[in-house]
Amino acid sequence: MRRQAKVAVLTMEGTNNEEEAFLSFKHSGASPEIVHLKQLENGRKKIGSYDILFFPGGFSAGDYVRAGAVMAARIKARLMRDVKDFVENGNPVMGSCNGFQVLVELGLIPNVDGSYGIEAALAPNLSNKFEARTVYVRVNKRNCLFLRSFEEGQIIELPVAHSEGRFVARDDSVLREIIKSGTNVVTYVDNKGKVAEYPWNPNGSAFNIAGICNKEGNVLGMMPHPERAFYRYTVSDWTRRGEGGITGGEFFRNAVAFLREKY
Amino acid sequence: MTEREIVQHVPVLRKTGEELLDISSRMHLGLSADEMKIIKSHFEREGREPTDVELQAIAQAWSEHCSYKSSKIHLRKYIFGIGRDKIVSQGDAGLVSLDEDTAIAFKMESHNHPSAIEPYGGAATGVGGILRDILSMGAQPVAVTDALYFGNRRIKGFQSPKFIERGVIAGIRDYGNRVGIPTVSGAIVYADYFSPNVLVNVGCVGVVNKKKIRSSAISEPHVKLIIAGGKTGRDGIHGVNMASAVMEKGGEDITTVQLGNPIVKEPLIHAVLEANDSGLIYALKDLGGGGLSSVVGEMLEAGGMGGKVFLDKVPTKEKNMLPWEIWISESQERMLLAVREEHVKEVLNIMEGWDVTSSVIGESEPGKRLKIFYGNEKVLDIDIEFMTSPPLYERPSAHKERKAEAVLPRYPANFEKLLLRMLRDKNVRTKEYAVRQYDHTVRGSTVVGPFTGIVGREGPSDASIIRPSWDRDTGIAISHGSNPFYSHRNPYLGAMAAIDEAVRNLISVGAEPLGFSDCLNAGNPENPDVMGEFIDMLKGLHDSASHLGIPFPSGNVSFYNEAGKKRIPTFPTILAVGKIDSIQRAITPDFKEVGSSIYLVGIPTTDLGASLYYRLLGLTGGEVPYSDPRTLKRRGWNLLRAAGGNMVSSLHDVSDGGMAVSISEMTVGSNIGADVDVSVLGLRTDFAIFSEPQSSWIAEVKKGKEEEFLKILGDDAVYIGKTQESIFSASRGEERVFSVDLDRIMRNWKRGYS
Repeated sequence: MRRQAKVAVLTMEGTNNEEEAFLSFKHSGASPEIVHLKQLENGRKKIGSYDILFFPGGFSAGDYVRAGAVMAARIKARLMRDVKDFVENGNPVMGSCNGFQVLVELGLIPNVDGSYGIEAALAPNLSNKFEARTVYVRVNKRNCLFLRSFEEGQIIELPVAHSEGRFVARDDSVLREIIKSGTNVVTYVDNKGKVAEYPWNPNGSAFNIAGICNKEGNVLGMMPHPERAFYRYTVSDWTRRGEGGITGGEFFRNAVAFLREKY
Repeated sequence: MTEREIVQHVPVLRKTGEELLDISSRMHLGLSADEMKIIKSHFEREGREPTDVELQAIAQAWSEHCSYKSSKIHLRKYIFGIGRDKIVSQGDAGLVSLDEDTAIAFKMESHNHPSAIEPYGGAATGVGGILRDILSMGAQPVAVTDALYFGNRRIKGFQSPKFIERGVIAGIRDYGNRVGIPTVSGAIVYADYFSPNVLVNVGCVGVVNKKKIRSSAISEPHVKLIIAGGKTGRDGIHGVNMASAVMEKGGEDITTVQLGNPIVKEPLIHAVLEANDSGLIYALKDLGGGGLSSVVGEMLEAGGMGGKVFLDKVPTKEKNMLPWEIWISESQERMLLAVREEHVKEVLNIMEGWDVTSSVIGESEPGKRLKIFYGNEKVLDIDIEFMTSPPLYERPSAHKERKAEAVLPRYPANFEKLLLRMLRDKNVRTKEYAVRQYDHTVRGSTVVGPFTGIVGREGPSDASIIRPSWDRDTGIAISHGSNPFYSHRNPYLGAMAAIDEAVRNLISVGAEPLGFSDCLNAGNPENPDVMGEFIDMLKGLHDSASHLGIPFPSGNVSFYNEAGKKRIPTFPTILAVGKIDSIQRAITPDFKEVGSSIYLVGIPTTDLGASLYYRLLGLTGGEVPYSDPRTLKRRGWNLLRAAGGNMVSSLHDVSDGGMAVSISEMTVGSNIGADVDVSVLGLRTDFAIFSEPQSSWIAEVKKGKEEEFLKILGDDAVYIGKTQESIFSASRGEERVFSVDLDRIMRNWKRGYS
């Protein structure tokens, strides 16, 4: 792709990590823009004019109802056709934290039966508390374009900060299908790389699911925040590590590199 | 409503002092008889009776909370003159310089009274208010901080300390997390003094391009006033008057506490900053205590202008609000923007783009008078200077001779037990049960957060570091200092210790201190003992800060923290900001390598008064340790040179529980132990390891850098031992003092948190 990838970081009242998402794309060589949902609703801006769509975390509309529900409802009411076209066109779509919740509410993930129904939810953490901590996650990259540069099974460190992050599938068949297809591409593990309980799994997610990708590999939703650990200085134990090492920046660079090759 | 009902004239001209006081109390004005008499003679000169709106407006401006009438004379004498050349700007927050084109805006203030009445709402709106103060300077908030002081015991007639604590923490969590600014730093202190007088001191730090700094002064006519953000309601009426009086048992009116809505605040921040970045804002100020009344008055007075306001243009939450209610309501999430006529449309468009409610409500005018209208009716017409100039007081003060009784504790039989007891003490052990509920990574700029070290076993950090721009390596460091235990015994030394601690914490991460915000907490200023302590405290702050040459560009005074016949110690919480030229040089307290040398920078003391050690033993005597600003300056700035020269791999200050607790904390996040020999320190072993000498640190020095380090630190650094694997052991020559497994240290320090 000759031109820079255009990224829409969606915002509405209550979303709150658009700033670091914006910077993460900018520092990955893309051309991001913070786009208010309103501007899409009133037609001043079009989803189709962007290459990448990012749903930031936060508390869209306050999250006083179910997390992410209000933002998803607004998108479904006016913009769902555009979003589906965007996804089916193979463009990268990512959401972290509340953004993950919005993607699930929209039915874009896990979408095991391909009909964009709501197949899962992100329930309150088992600890019943907001959890702000660093977690280890294992990456099983499958065909997920955001994960292409990782080594299979690589363990990385990312921050989480949420009170509703426990992945719950609508029924067992959905969960089975996710595990079978391996779309649970990001998994909470302990300091030895093993699947383990709280606090390593900060919310009590089924199968320690931290992130889910669609089967096509272009929509990724996850609770941890790669955009908050873009540089090594924001990886929480950086003062104990040498130079180098993987950071959250990888997710963004991968999406940008994917587009560069595609077009 | 008919016009007659919306405003009333209040007859004062023929009233006696007693009758005037009765009016003050009936209208919740909180004014004294003498103050009412000044108002009466003013209206005698005007030749008419005041309206209720006018009396309410004056009462807001003249409240202790808004006017600092009991403290201003003393603050001018001791605080305002320090380090003036380093202050970039002052207003709702203070500004110091970070680099050539960026300034740091910061402030800490109390939200004590509302939090005591309604812990959740009070704490939440405390965060909301301090964010607006930073925004008022045109600055982007980058960090929220809080210092909380909770009681241990329940006092009859008041809420239980546990209920208050839960509410306050939840309020900070829900507001701070929703608004998307990281809560990165703070303190939680438990002491009997704070039953039932809980203290909530909240701070905020922001950054602003120096060319975009705004003030609140309006100094030309026909500048339009736009109110933006939340609607105005009946919540938070008379908040400042309530905060300027002693609490009665259970008798507080909950409607004096405002209701917060972070989901309105979040877009308001974006919208205001966007308008300011586009150069469209002439001046701005946040609506806090005293509401529109305080803000309009102060903005016009600061620029020598008059003005007019139309109250019916103010968007309200409910119908039928009376003019005086609209005028003094302290509803949250509101900003007043002063905008030149040619920019009004653009500003309203920006607000609309973010779904923020806004409305033009008035404008500045030549002259000295403020006029308020509701519909066609003039409800206030007053001389602004009179309204904004309350009488200032130099209240009587009593200065106590403070003699400490000499005590000598019995030599401890079991040091290990004592150390573990200290580590699990409520005031030492981890505060993760609260702080992990606060989002500390939002904005993706947190370089050092509240906890550091190996994932899953993090220990405490001394200060947080925020990288304000992803394009530069410059970092802002944020820390706190306070010691109500020392201040209770000696307000002068306690204030110095607070400065010492805030400075130590910044030095510990490798940052140079630039500025302080003093959040002052005290009892009833009409009590000469309180006033005496208040002045002693200011002297302490003065003697430390003036020697360091570090200014207080912002601050706050909270008096009347008295209830249940109990009053709090008179003490400051210091919010300190510093600068680290390169975040790559940031230091954390977790030990880094086995076999490296450990130095004590400082000397233990025999003054253990109010130390954690004596408090655990129940000893009330002993002198409080003295912080000598000359020593602080020499050791602190020498350590910065060593840190900048890449010689120090971990650094932690000596604080509660002395160097034994400090070293223990350095083992938590690292899983690396230490072997130290205290014989070189000379003192009795318990004094050597548990005393809390001021201006002291524990430093782990990189292998091969020891000589270079000693060359800089000289006699201030004492070699005490080496890091080792899995055990923290201390000896005195041949004699073993203790030897503790690192897992036991961690388990005790992490007690109460899983």
